Amino acid sequence: MRKVAVAGVGMCKFGRYEDRDLDDLGHEAVVNALKDSDYEWRDVQAIFCANAYGGMGVGHRVAYSIGMKGVPIVNVENACSGGMSAFRLCYQSVAAGLYDVCLAIGVEKIPGGLLDDSSWPVFERKMGFNVQPASYGVEAQRHMEEYGSTVEQFAKVTVKNRKNGCLNPYAGFQKEVTVEEVLNSRMISYPLRLLMCCANGDGAAAAVLCSTNKLKSKRKKVTVAAAVLTSETYGNVKGAGSVRIHNLDRTEIGAKQAYEISGYGPEDVDVLEAYDTMSSAELINVEKLGFCKKGEYGHLLEEGAFDRDGKLPINPSGGLLSRRHPVSATGLAQIAELVWQLRGEAGARQIHGARVGMAHCLGAPGNSAITILKT
Amino acid sequence: MKEIKKRIPVKEGLFTMPSNPDEKPRLIASECPSCGEVLFPKRKMCANCQEEKLREITLSPRGKIYSFSVVMQRPGRYYEGPVPYAFGWVEFPEKVRGEGLFVCDNFEDLRIGREVEVVIEKLTEDQDGNEVVAHKFRLIGPSKES
Repeated sequence: MRKVAVAGVGMCKFGRYEDRDLDDLGHEAVVNALKDSDYEWRDVQAIFCANAYGGMGVGHRVAYSIGMKGVPIVNVENACSGGMSAFRLCYQSVAAGLYDVCLAIGVEKIPGGLLDDSSWPVFERKMGFNVQPASYGVEAQRHMEEYGSTVEQFAKVTVKNRKNGCLNPYAGFQKEVTVEEVLNSRMISYPLRLLMCCANGDGAAAAVLCSTNKLKSKRKKVTVAAAVLTSETYGNVKGAGSVRIHNLDRTEIGAKQAYEISGYGPEDVDVLEAYDTMSSAELINVEKLGFCKKGEYGHLLEEGAFDRDGKLPINPSGGLLSRRHPVSATGLAQIAELVWQLRGEAGARQIHGARVGMAHCLGAPGNSAITILKT
Repeated sequence: MKEIKKRIPVKEGLFTMPSNPDEKPRLIASECPSCGEVLFPKRKMCANCQEEKLREITLSPRGKIYSFSVVMQRPGRYYEGPVPYAFGWVEFPEKVRGEGLFVCDNFEDLRIGREVEVVIEKLTEDQDGNEVVAHKFRLIGPSKES
């Protein structure tokens, strides 16, 4: 296996773009990533493009906006893990020696309101089970019951991330919120309120991956230490199911693999981009990734451990709660943030001396993707 | 002549609909003779050990709330019932959890650990005016914790 570097990353500001199409958003992210990598379009040997809501051939449409050139283009659908799955396909292709330079794209335009999650069987959708904040609400209620986490702690996750998001020019929301504002915002699905749920949105992000010996860029070198993709395990499907069998879940086995492959442990990670699709999800998943014991996240958060100047800065980008969540673009936006942080290019939100960064995202109906990058 | 409206299950094989009012409706599950797991809804193959010869069983009519949420906003598509609505997971004595909607007068009464019974109630109506029914979990016992 060859060593793989992230040569460049790029994205567009996430938001709502009534007047811009998918290929236009993807175009902006790709051009930014290419410029960042010092590669030219002609250098790209294969393209993996993640999208969930745009229909067929989205990667081809983005490529067409730049110029078709005969290279393989694979469209990837893996729900909210799509972007990170496309990244992993690039990683595999370069590591295996199939190509020297690959391009990962995640691009999305999605409707507002509660999304209809088509990964659920129709009868369950008819019964109203396919509501993302509700699935997370059920999980959050259980965590509160078993480990004593509180709605105030969920609110404080939002407050922390929205504060960080003010410093991220690519974030859709760059405005601080208070605990009171979060706790007084509209209830979406008990116990999760509007400001505890990330907003959907439109956007694109891209990354250029290459073999480390083919790097053109003179920027600080960032390499891939692990790129892991897992799916849910028996007994944990939708967080429930079996009473007798206790398997590690998709996040726990993914973390175990990522630590084994990279040789790092949670104690080595300097910056974490966590999956805060709901503020409760950041709390629950950071515990599953092994950064603290179950039930400890809330207390550590309240002590400031996860602030930008804390022991483990989590979501210095502002996370999904600040950025918005254009499903397939999110994973690559998380990776872009890690690259900027590890290079020391994150501006006002820079975590000083960050050398190892980790990003985690989940996806319906049972994905988990983890990427560890290092300088 | 007005047609008689039918009661159509939201999905075949999910629950029993006894015509005798003394008989309680039950969820239909699969039991694996190989690893002992109980699976709901019923399956063709054991999701734990992939055994193909599963035994069809019905679950006890009562279980306890494992977790729940109350949805305050209308979902994107398909769901045509009232909003807000409560759904979640109920744990049955057969060591399996099932997902369903809750029936209760006041959502404040929902608590993890409370006992519920399986009922079959209207979910919506189809194009011909037939009642589409689904299993739901109705709270039983005192509404306030003493």
